[in-house]
Amino acid sequence: MWHTIQSSLPELLAAGFKYTIPLALVSFFWGLLIALLVALIRLSRQNGVFKILKGIAVFYVWLFRSTPLLVQLFIVFFGLPHLVIPGVFPDGVQLKPFTAGVITFSLNTGAYASETIRAAIASVPKGQWEAAEAIGMTRLQVLWRIILPQALRVALPPLANSFISLVKDTSLAASITIAEMFSVAQQITAENYEPLLMYIIVALIYALFTTVLSRLQAWMEKSLAKTAPVQ
Amino acid sequence: MKLAKINKWFGEKHVLKDVSLEFPAGQTTVLVGPSGSGKSTILRSLNLLEQPDRGTYDFDKLHLNFAKSVSRKQKLLLRQKTGMVFQDYNLFPHLTVLQNVTEGPIRVLKKSKEAANQEALEILSKVGLCDFAGSYPAQLSGGQAQRVAIARALAMKPEYVLLDEPTSALDPELELEVLRVLLKLAQENQSLIIVTHNMVFARRVADRIVFVEDGTIKYDGDPTAFFAPDNPDERIRHFIAAMTMEELEA
Repeated sequence: MWHTIQSSLPELLAAGFKYTIPLALVSFFWGLLIALLVALIRLSRQNGVFKILKGIAVFYVWLFRSTPLLVQLFIVFFGLPHLVIPGVFPDGVQLKPFTAGVITFSLNTGAYASETIRAAIASVPKGQWEAAEAIGMTRLQVLWRIILPQALRVALPPLANSFISLVKDTSLAASITIAEMFSVAQQITAENYEPLLMYIIVALIYALFTTVLSRLQAWMEKSLAKTAPVQ
Repeated sequence: MKLAKINKWFGEKHVLKDVSLEFPAGQTTVLVGPSGSGKSTILRSLNLLEQPDRGTYDFDKLHLNFAKSVSRKQKLLLRQKTGMVFQDYNLFPHLTVLQNVTEGPIRVLKKSKEAANQEALEILSKVGLCDFAGSYPAQLSGGQAQRVAIARALAMKPEYVLLDEPTSALDPELELEVLRVLLKLAQENQSLIIVTHNMVFARRVADRIVFVEDGTIKYDGDPTAFFAPDNPDERIRHFIAAMTMEELEA
């Protein structure tokens, strides 16, 4: 048993640091950007172009929250190559596995996180907008300097939850040929026929990663509470 | 600063009806009247937190006609010339007292951090709070918080400071702290426009009283005549009596 652990651990960790963590980090970064944009569109006033954008935003959130992540991965990686658009994609939309993974995970995370961010922004009292606008700040300044820092405190715990889920969900990327941690565990199992041991090891590594993240979250919440006590 | 024939509707409700008012610089104007009379709406119209539907507004060389749309640039310009103090302070909870005061000067007036900090400390000592520069709003009493809010408004060097029931959320002792600061400002000829229910203070500080009821101006002039027991307007006599509880036993 020790021999199995010793020989597989370096390989698993390497896959974790090379694929699992980058996949989660990059996807979360883009997911947050998408989420912020979608949240702002959904909170904007209803007129002109925004009405159309709002419709698109609502549809996007509905689409990604109401379908399974695994199916989304399959559509993007296996399905899109069959989407032939003459002139633009004459050979179909061909994506590298990692790119397909990042696109799907970003869009999926973005849909969930946009709801979190929307609620967090809406939770900041209207008086904060008024006070900041009354000193002559532009709407963008108000948002960036006054509203978002306060919204972050509200949004941090659920966003950390989303990130932790995302780290675990990257294991689904094994199915679109990305050599991340879980797919490496499967490969090793195919050689040594020790599924119980191998899958427990890989589970423990995921648990280790997410525990570190939980600790990080607790630390961030504490330091935010220190610099900005709730009124 | 001059409003002419201002009209405002909230849905079906006609809250301001042909309101025309002039606010000469260097004076303290106190707006009084029953709740829901439209006095706060008038005040909020002056820095466009509320935009009237019709009427005109002149401020120095700026001329606004509310029947047409008001540009963002005009709005921002106007807000730099007017400071606003709210009933529930609305301090920024994630910023220190000092940062609350310097946020506008640094971001809007583009002052250097050093200059803004120095000015902010001067203003904070004027309102008696320079020892609290590093505190957060949550650590302050209501009276202190409202004085910080006044300092935040003053830091923008506004031509007018607008105060929307600045002491309504405070108990009498804390209220006194804030009123002292306002009286000092009035004596320095800072232009103030105050909405308040405190008649004792109104009488003491006002250069001019405006009585608003049902979206119209019912009185606009000298405070002495307004508070005179023989004010010919029975409604005003009644209002003052109610506010000062003269008729409690009646």
